Amino acid sequence: MRQPRLSPGPEEGRDQDLEGLLARVARGDHAAFEAVYDDLSAPVFGLVKKVLRDPAQSEEVAQEVLLEVWRAASRFDAVKGGAMSWVMTIAHRRAVDRVRSETSAAQREQKVAPDPVSGPDDVADAVEANLESQRVRRCLDGLTEVQRESVKLAYYGGYSYPQVAKLLGVALGTVKTRIRDGLIRVRDCMEVSW
Amino acid sequence: MRFQRHDLHTLTGSYALDALEVEELGEFERHLNHCPSCLAEVRGLRETAARLALATAERPPAAMRGQVLAMAQQTRQLPPLTDERPARRAVSRRVRRVWIPRFSVAVAALSVAAAVVFGVNQNSAQDQLNSIRSQLTSAEAHNHALSAVLAASDARLVSSGTSHGGAVTAIVSPREGKLVVVTSGLPALPASKVYELWLLGPSVAKPSGLLSGPRNGRTDPVVAAGLAAGYKLGVTVEPAGGTLRPTTAPIVDMSL
Repeated sequence: MRQPRLSPGPEEGRDQDLEGLLARVARGDHAAFEAVYDDLSAPVFGLVKKVLRDPAQSEEVAQEVLLEVWRAASRFDAVKGGAMSWVMTIAHRRAVDRVRSETSAAQREQKVAPDPVSGPDDVADAVEANLESQRVRRCLDGLTEVQRESVKLAYYGGYSYPQVAKLLGVALGTVKTRIRDGLIRVRDCMEVSW
Repeated sequence: MRFQRHDLHTLTGSYALDALEVEELGEFERHLNHCPSCLAEVRGLRETAARLALATAERPPAAMRGQVLAMAQQTRQLPPLTDERPARRAVSRRVRRVWIPRFSVAVAALSVAAAVVFGVNQNSAQDQLNSIRSQLTSAEAHNHALSAVLAASDARLVSSGTSHGGAVTAIVSPREGKLVVVTSGLPALPASKVYELWLLGPSVAKPSGLLSGPRNGRTDPVVAAGLAAGYKLGVTVEPAGGTLRPTTAPIVDMSL
């Protein structure tokens, strides 16, 4: 269950607004869907593009994700997680599914420069210069190098953890625990309230 | 492959980042059903991942807004899951993975195709099939032929890469004598060409349908009937409109 904090941060407030909008979307309210689009299209597009890189493919997948939000809004369950993470989970999975199909993986390899490990600066690259991204960056900077690179390759790179292990040249078990430890540290650093 | 409990628990982070490979995914999701502490941790880590996502926000091209809103006007929504059908709750997590739909069933079939392309082992293929079936009953199955095959108790998955790239997946029901064919990653053809399906018997090649042009790397599901024991599925590239006999070498030739 959600542990309410005394002073909800901006993201929590945003999540509650989104939950209300999703409930209306589930009942077929197109105006509510427009509001959801305006709120979520940039995070969805940005995340998908971060993983896929190709702008045209990213637009296509982002459209699918947002349409899926319309279609499946009735399946959103606030008991299971926040509205934002529900949408971002759909977006990330769709992007990853696309990446891991053979052909787009081949296309992507051509587009990705020889060094797939992006530096910390890259995260903030195409980023809205907002407070949230600064917090993320600060929290990522607080990780050990292997933790940070593991989390970034898995999430922003869309790599599976065995692929991450190979890219970083470390053992499978190490990557598994570094990803978990790293994420837990980010969670605590960002005071995620779940 | 079996995992120690401890090992499984350390997968919470990788799971939250969608970094498990298909073989482990099924196993871990089953484990989650019996491990409340894992589930709680996964939720927190998913929320955390969503915050990582927000840091990448980038405004999409302006034209996308009108397109998405227009598509929503033409897309029927999924009904909510209800408590009278408790068995279905177990798959609600998977329902989120579903593709965008002409109809939900088609969509479910497509997600199988994608899973197969990544290299699914027997167990998780079975899980995928089960999950599709569960969705079937709750989803509005507009296409009865399609849903009959997917819901058949003997339905199974067969998949193969093609010589042109991409993969062809068939959901086969010998009892119904039918199969549903979906594809992933087939290269687009010029307008003058089409992918044609064939049921290949010992001395016969039965034309069994044409694939739609790939959209988002996938073709619409095609139901092929008239399957008999020992038949194989072939796909060839033919002139638009199709032919009655294959005129080129099959790009895939798979046992069913």
